[in-house]
Formats: sequence, C-alpha cells, structure tokens
Amino acid sequence: MRGLVSTARVSWYAIVSGANDYWSIFTLKSWIFGWCVRMISQVSFFALIGKLLRSDEQTQFFLIGNAVMIAVMGALFAMNMTTSERGNGTLSLMLASPSRPVVVFASRGIYVMADGVFSSLLGLAILGPAFGLHFPFPRVLLVIPLTALVGFSAYSFSTFLAGVIIRRREMTGLIVNATIVTLMALCGVNVPVSFYPSWLAWISRCLPITNGLEAIRGVVGDVSWSTVGAHAGVEIVVAGAWLLLALGTFGRFIRAGQRDGSLEYAS
Amino acid sequence: MIRAFLAGARIQLQFLRAYPDALIPFFTAPMFSVIFLMIFRHAGRTDLTAYAAIAPVFIALWWLALFNSGWTITIERWNGTLEMLVAAPSSFAAVILGRITATTMVGIVSFGETWLVARLLFGTRITIYHTWGFLATALVTLAAMAGTAVAMSSLFVLARNAVTFSNSASYPFYVLGGILVPVSVLPHWIRPVSSVVFLSWSADLLRAALRPGPMHHFAFRLGMVALLGACGLVVGVWTMRVILVRVRGSGELGTT
Amino acid sequence: MVVVQGVEVQDIRRVFTPRKREPVVALDDVSLSIPTGEVHGLLGPNGAGKTTLVKILSTVLLPSAGRAFVCGHDVVVETKAVRPLIGIVFGGERGLYTRLSARQNLEYWGALYQLNGGEIKKRTELLLERVGLTDRAGQRVEEFSRGMKQRLHLARGLMGDARVLFLDEPTTGMDPLAAREFRQLIGELKGEGRTILLTTHDMVEAETVCDRVTLIDHGRLLATETPRTLGSLISRFQRIDVEDAPDELLAELEHIAGVSSVSMQADGSARIEVTEEGATSIVLRRLVDSGVTSVKTSLPSLEEVYVQMIGERGLVV
Repeated sequence: MRGLVSTARVSWYAIVSGANDYWSIFTLKSWIFGWCVRMISQVSFFALIGKLLRSDEQTQFFLIGNAVMIAVMGALFAMNMTTSERGNGTLSLMLASPSRPVVVFASRGIYVMADGVFSSLLGLAILGPAFGLHFPFPRVLLVIPLTALVGFSAYSFSTFLAGVIIRRREMTGLIVNATIVTLMALCGVNVPVSFYPSWLAWISRCLPITNGLEAIRGVVGDVSWSTVGAHAGVEIVVAGAWLLLALGTFGRFIRAGQRDGSLEYAS
Repeated sequence: MIRAFLAGARIQLQFLRAYPDALIPFFTAPMFSVIFLMIFRHAGRTDLTAYAAIAPVFIALWWLALFNSGWTITIERWNGTLEMLVAAPSSFAAVILGRITATTMVGIVSFGETWLVARLLFGTRITIYHTWGFLATALVTLAAMAGTAVAMSSLFVLARNAVTFSNSASYPFYVLGGILVPVSVLPHWIRPVSSVVFLSWSADLLRAALRPGPMHHFAFRLGMVALLGACGLVVGVWTMRVILVRVRGSGELGTT
Repeated sequence: MVVVQGVEVQDIRRVFTPRKREPVVALDDVSLSIPTGEVHGLLGPNGAGKTTLVKILSTVLLPSAGRAFVCGHDVVVETKAVRPLIGIVFGGERGLYTRLSARQNLEYWGALYQLNGGEIKKRTELLLERVGLTDRAGQRVEEFSRGMKQRLHLARGLMGDARVLFLDEPTTGMDPLAAREFRQLIGELKGEGRTILLTTHDMVEAETVCDRVTLIDHGRLLATETPRTLGSLISRFQRIDVEDAPDELLAELEHIAGVSSVSMQADGSARIEVTEEGATSIVLRRLVDSGVTSVKTSLPSLEEVYVQMIGERGLVV
C-alpha cells in the first residue's frame, strides 16, 4: 500500500513539473496564436477535402478523425520530454533516484497529453458549426470521455516508444513526426477501417486510436450504444496492452542504456 | 561569390547526413501521399490523383523552408560561428543562399517518392500532360521557395517568437496555399490572402500541368509565382544587411 | 620610410548599451602597436576588454570611436582587405560544427577563405598534421576532447594562411601537456613571420610565449612590458609566511626598507609583504639568524599584482 502511495506522490510531482515545463514554453498568447491557429488549420485542411468532394458526410468524417488526431499529437509530443531530460542532464539524476523511471516519464508528459485532448475538443466545438455540421445533443457529450480515452491510449503507445528510443535521443523528432503521420494513415482517421485490406485492418485495430475513433464516430452518428460500447471496450483493452508493454520494457531499455553508456549527460 | 555559394551548399548537404531530423520530410511526404491517395480512391475520384501527387511535395518543401532553411542563420548564431562567418572574406549572403538552395533542391526527392507511392502501392501512374509547363512551374516554384526561405532565415533571427511561428506556420499555409484543396473551394473572404501566398499560384499551375486541357494564363500565373518569390528574396537579403549591421554595430547578435 | 605595423590601435573606445541597463565602457581609449612578426600577449582578468578588442580587430565588431589597422588597412572601412589577412581562433566549446568531422570543418572554411579545390585539400591535410589531428580527421568533432577542439580551432584559423592571428584564450581548459604543445606551435608560427595577438589570463602562458605583454583591466591598458620585466615586477611583490616568530622580531622586520607590511593571519602565522627586489633575502637572513625556520615564500596572484599596479599607477612604465 505504501508503495502505491509513494508512486502516486512521485507521479503527482512529475505531472506538476511537466506542466510547469510546458508553460515555460508557451504563453497564453503563443498558445492561442501559435498552437490553436495551427490546430484549427490542420483540422480544416482535411475537413475541406469533404467540401472538395462535395459531401457533408465526408466533411464530418474528416473533421472528427483529424480533430481526434490532435489529441494523439499531444500524446506523442510528450515524447519530446524524455529527450529534454537527457539533454538537460537530469536523466542520470532521475535514474539514480529510487523511483521507477517509467512512472516519472509517464507522468511528466501527462499534461501535454491533456492539453492535446482539450485542444481536440475545442477544435470539434469550433469547427463543427463552422463547417455546418450538427452534432446530436446530449449524445455528443460522450465524445469528451472517449477522446480522453483515445488520448490516454495514444499516450501509452507513446510511452512505450519513448523507451525504445531513449538511447538514441537525436532520433526523437524524426520518430515523433513519422509516428504521427503513420497513425494518421493507418488508424482509420481519413478512410474507414473497412477500406483497408484485411491484414492491415487487423494491425490497425491493434494500434491506439482506431477503435476509440470508431466509438466517437458512432456517438455522433446514429449507431447503437452496444456498438459504441464494444469499440470503446476494445480501445480500453488496446490502451491497457500498450501500457503494460511500456511498463514492462521501459526498465529494460534503461538498463541497456546504462550498460552501453548511451544515456550520457547532454549530447 | 560562386565559391561561397557552393561551399554553403556542400556543407548543408553534409548536415543533411549528420542530423536525423533533416530527414523528417522524406518520411512524411510518402505517408501523406498514401493518405491522400487513399482518400480519393475511397471516394472514387481518380481524377483527383494530381491533387494527391503534388500536395505532399509542397508539404515537404514548406517543411524544409520552415524548419531547416529558416533556421540557418539562427543556428549559426547559437553555434558560435556567425561571427566567424562575418569575419571570413566570402560573401555572407552567398553562403546562406547556397545553403538554402541546397536544402530546397533536395526537396525534389519528395516528388519522386510520391510518384513511386502512387505507382507501387496504388497502381496509379501520374501523367504529366504539359511537360514544359510542368518543368517551368517546378523550377520557378523551387526558386520562390528558396527566396521565401531566405526571408524566413533572416526574419527568424530578429523576431522574438520565431519558434512559435515555425511550429505553427505549417498547416495554415497549406490551407491558404491551396496545396491540396484549391483556393477556389475556400470561402471567398480567404481568397485575397491566398493570392499573396505563392503556393496557391504554384499549386494551381502544377495541378493544371497534370491534367489534360490547356493551362490558362500560364505566363501571368507563373509570373506571380516568380514575383512573390522574388519579394521574399529581396526582403530576406535586405534583412540580412540589418542583421550584419547589428552583429558589427551593437554586438548583440554575435552570441546567443 | 613608414613601417607598416602588424596591428595598430589608436584611441579605440567601445561602449555597449545593453537594454534597460547602464552603458558599459568595454574599451576606454586604448592604443597599442604590434610590429609585424611579434607575439603579443593581452593579459587581464575576465571582463577586462580583451575579447572586445580582438573582435574589433577581426572586423566583427565596430569601435565606438578611434581607429585600428591590420597590416595597414583600416578594420572599419577596409574589411575586404583585412579579412583575407586574418585568422581567428576564439576557442572554446562553440565555433565548430560538432556533428561534422574535423576534415569537413576545415574544408568548409578553406572554401570560405577563397582557396580552390586542390588547395583546400592540400592545406587541410597539412594543417591536420601540424596540429596533430590527422588520425582523428574523419571523426565527429563532438567526440573530441577540449584540447583537440582547441587544436582544431587553431587549424581552422590557419586555413586562410593568415598573416595576423588573433587567439582568444586558446589554452583555457587544456591540460598542461596539451597547453605546452600548443605554445610550441605558436612559436613555430612566429618563426614564419606571422603577427600574433594572444589574449590570456594565465601569467605563465604570457611569459613563455610572448615577446611583449600588455596588461589590461576594466577596458584600460595598464602597461606593456616584456615578460621578463613582468616577471621581475612580480618577484618584487613577494610574500613570506612565518610561524612562531616573536613579536619583537616582527616589529623589527616591519622597519626594513622594502617591507611594505607585516600582518597576522587567522591561523597564527605572520605574513610579510615585500615590494623591493633584494628585500626578501634580507628578511630571510634576519629570520634564520633569529632561529625561525618555519618559513614559506610565495608569489602573489595575478589579481594581487593588478591591485598593486592600479594602486600605484605611477609605477606604470
């Protein structure tokens, strides 16, 4: 029990420090005129394809998919925090402390992920009406916890990846960007999962986002609650699986890094 | 001056190999091709293949301008080599221009990637209907991209929130530039803004070159790309002068 | 016939006006003349203005007033003539492209110093050998030790076959062996007729390498001496630490000519400060004759010499 409490405490402090780091980068002004403008543009960029195709249905499809993608981006940007640890030299200090590194890492980025989820919902709220879409109320409120679920699922995936690349800090930018675009292609964000060949669809469902996104689209569309529930349930399982994988492998990657000295001070 | 230009180009290519982040557009461009081609195939609109073909190239080139070229001078500053560059007998502007041109030219690879993705994964051939029109547009576009990147590299040194701009100026310009969805589909209040972004003229022309049917008002439209790109170059070089004055005069830009 | 000096500085003044703060006078009417082929040291503590002067001479910074010439060319208006003639070795961790190899770094600057393709390759290999980096030429600079980076900086500064070299604290952070090899290299460069301005805050370095040394502090030149004169200046300011000396003896010593002060230290020992050559031996003999054997002599630190010099401004030759 005490172990759990101390883990929770470490986690809380890590979250707070992550939040502080985040706001040292952004001011409110730059968050709005920088990040928000980009976010709105990104979702619009894809939603406009629906206008090009002259289909409201497609517009809604793209809008929802890419708005949820914003939450995913938040989750993946959190990976940048691991490299800044290594860059600042705080990584070695952290490893020398008694806390489990994965707990600290996983907690530090939560704020960034939460910001992504918030931005995602903001985007939906602003652009839905802007593109002339009508969401069924109050059904649509379920999108909030479902988006958080997708965010958390992507975050587990991201934590796992962070462990994989912790020894090769210089690849982080590349991995983050490549992963985002790959997920955009493979997770039914811009085309339905049914479009993929069956082997790809299978892979897709093992990735974060896919199932949760289907649940979200189901909520906004006229899909039965049982189907929505099923999709959400699968997403929870997927999220749990990636989280377990992250917890299980992170320590191993760290130890390997300690062995070969690739976790040096700032590179 | 030529020697300085080439020295800049050469070292930039060496940087490309030394920094993995520089490879990002070459990973994302083919992925974007996949996404766009999937969308249009799913929608049964094979006539829009041209759209799917050129958008990723613009994304790659713009990314290179924003995150690579745009930071050329600033990185020299952070690296402690800016003053050394000033003290060298070669033309500062020529070296920077050489570096930016090299980066821009490398962006051409993304078109090859797009072409391959379409061919190998989707069995679609991208046909160039107006070869000379396409080549001319491509060349002028690359020049305009380099010119705009020079403006970015100079302005980023002086602006205080360059990092924020860099991180956020991707998608807004993809929309304004009509690189996937033509400007004609955008609401009309945006169109005047789009007309000063060279991307919009360029994208329209390249799409026209990949479609049968004549390329209307070719000279005028190409001229607009050239003009807007030239404006970027002029702003960039003029701002570079300001930077050099500040390095020597107040010393404030010499170090971080 | 007018002899063109390697470096000529006439009443250079440089004021910095940082935002929201008081203006800082980094150089205050500094004048200096370095003949061609001389190794000249600029010795002073941090913030003295050494780097500022070097930056002005290397055309990187403009003076607020005054004129300076390198090989007879004005550094402000004749930059095109000056820049091919100079080499800059600023040293330190920055100033190199760390993810490129040593060779790639040198070849780049070679091109910027307007050498053609063949010359670049030849000179790169020559310089790599000269600074002892041939085996590591293909390695990334980020893997180099501090000493190796400094050597690479020197090679870089020589790519343009500079007639005048500006070295800004080139041996800081180097281990003694590397520093000694570096100084040997400088001796060789002097033998080739190059003019060298070297800034440092290391007295020993100034003494071993330079033909003349200028002391600078707070933007002002205090003195220009040969190292030997500096050495004797220092040896005049000796101090003798004594334990268990009777008070009467100490009182007597205080009156010896050339003894400036006798003070008690916290640990009970007495410190005798001497400012005249020869006074040391008199004091020591008196101590030994009195049977005091627990004696230690030392030289003051650089700062203390400065303090003495600023305090006795009339002492400046």
